[in-house]
Amino acid sequence: MGFTGDRFIIYLASLFMIFSVFATSYNIVFGYLKHVSFGHSLFYAAGAYGVALLTTKLVPDMMLGILSGIALATLLAVAVGALTLRHSSIYFAMLTLAFAMLFYSLLLKWRNFTGGSDGISGIPRSSFLFTLSSIENYYPLLFVFFLASMILLNWVDVSRFGLLLKALGDNEDRFKFTGLSVYRYKLSGFMVSGFFSGLAGSLYALLLRAVTPDIAYWTTAAEPLIMTLLGGAQYFLGPSVGAFIFVIITTLTARVAEYWQLFMGVVLVALLLGARGGVLDLVERLWGRKF
Amino acid sequence: MLETILYQLFTGVFRASYYWLIASGLTLIFGVTRVVNFAHATFFVLGGYVALTVYELTNNFIATVLISALVVSLVAVLSETSLLRPLYRIESIYQLLMTFALTLIINDLSKFIWGAESRSIPLPKELSTIVSVGTRPFPLFYFLVIGLSIASLFLLYYLIEKTFWGLKVRATWRDIFVAESLRINTRRIFTATFFIGSLLAGFGGATMVAFTPVAPGLGDSLIITAFIIVVIAGLGNLFGAFVSSLMIGMLESLLVLYIPEVDILLIFVIMTAVLLVRPWGIFGER
Repeated sequence: MGFTGDRFIIYLASLFMIFSVFATSYNIVFGYLKHVSFGHSLFYAAGAYGVALLTTKLVPDMMLGILSGIALATLLAVAVGALTLRHSSIYFAMLTLAFAMLFYSLLLKWRNFTGGSDGISGIPRSSFLFTLSSIENYYPLLFVFFLASMILLNWVDVSRFGLLLKALGDNEDRFKFTGLSVYRYKLSGFMVSGFFSGLAGSLYALLLRAVTPDIAYWTTAAEPLIMTLLGGAQYFLGPSVGAFIFVIITTLTARVAEYWQLFMGVVLVALLLGARGGVLDLVERLWGRKF
Repeated sequence: MLETILYQLFTGVFRASYYWLIASGLTLIFGVTRVVNFAHATFFVLGGYVALTVYELTNNFIATVLISALVVSLVAVLSETSLLRPLYRIESIYQLLMTFALTLIINDLSKFIWGAESRSIPLPKELSTIVSVGTRPFPLFYFLVIGLSIASLFLLYYLIEKTFWGLKVRATWRDIFVAESLRINTRRIFTATFFIGSLLAGFGGATMVAFTPVAPGLGDSLIITAFIIVVIAGLGNLFGAFVSSLMIGMLESLLVLYIPEVDILLIFVIMTAVLLVRPWGIFGER
């Protein structure tokens, strides 16, 4: 893509916003419920492909596209959640991985419908009332979605629902004493997480105006995990901070050398050995006060 | 028709041998240390890369394979002691993430050292001699790999079930706290397990480059297959992993022939089905 100067900054900022929503929603499952999911790329890709398929095959309306992306992602979240949430953490992790890879291979093999490894391109960024062909025009809309999502996610974070989810993650046995259904709360949390991950995916598809199967690959699912760890899973803004750092690092290293995986790996090692609470935890410790 | 199927099945057994060389270490490491080693297929691929260099230096196939396997296991041991050991006392997810980080690092380092194109080493003449199974020709190499894999299964079995050291491993496997209270040095057992598992993987990778070129990214897809094999069998179950490798290897070979579009999909469906119905694996115990 031919980006230069300001356009590139806008592109990076867009990426940041999308990843921020993705990682923050991921944290509902990872940080609140304390379940490691390797399958969130499933919802992300579902959101992306939902937009792509609807707008290129049926109705070229981006808003409807976003709606269908979210719908598909949430549906899948309910289905996958129903099947996986009853299992213990390690099998849960592997099952989510399996489902993500299943979706990936589906996207890859179903050439006629999903475009196979070439994916789908030419996603229109237009709706009934407006067309946002340039990225500068898309940015404000993206920002609105970003703001709305973060506000909603924050509302979940401070709500009774969020508190209950965190309690569940903290100590599942104790949660049972509340008389509430463990499974139902896990599923609801998973659903909300899938919803926003799907939204992030939809917005991503509209940003690039193309989708390819690799966004469903398990390595994509690891990205929100890394971002959350980077920033700190115990903070609401942790995943966003992590997303910010991630975008900066990957862009910097991608421009300097192609060995961003190495850099990411080293950063991850440093985090795991020295700063498991993430950057925000480090900051808090150095600052001496609580956030 | 039948002959084609038999041919494919035999090729499948050959593939399965490679899967076994990865899956064995993976399941062994998990059984003993409870660490899901994401980096295990990366060790396998690393074995292939190291073999490229060692072969250039020695021009001897046997030496290449042995030395490469050793190098890989040393890398694994180094990683385990420096990176994983500090994390043993906290939740296992961090260990899993560390192995993931290890994969990223080794992947890029491999690209850096050996470049991004696919490379391979030539098969020594003795192993290229054709042996016929029915009317189909196979290089002797196939039989060697299959034979060595079966041998490794029995070696592992003997090591773990019949030796005193193996007893300590089994104790650690069963209950690490009790094992430690019996003054078994579980740290050393962990490291030794990594050594053995990675030795097999490195060995596999080193022999693989003689007939298939190694390329970056090979590990990413291999680890998934290895996971499926191990999970279907039951994490920590060695014999199960062997049978499972055979099943998957042969299934893949047959599908490639008849319904190529479905291959990855079907295998994932199988894994999902097994995990949903019998999450402790076909051969595992609750």
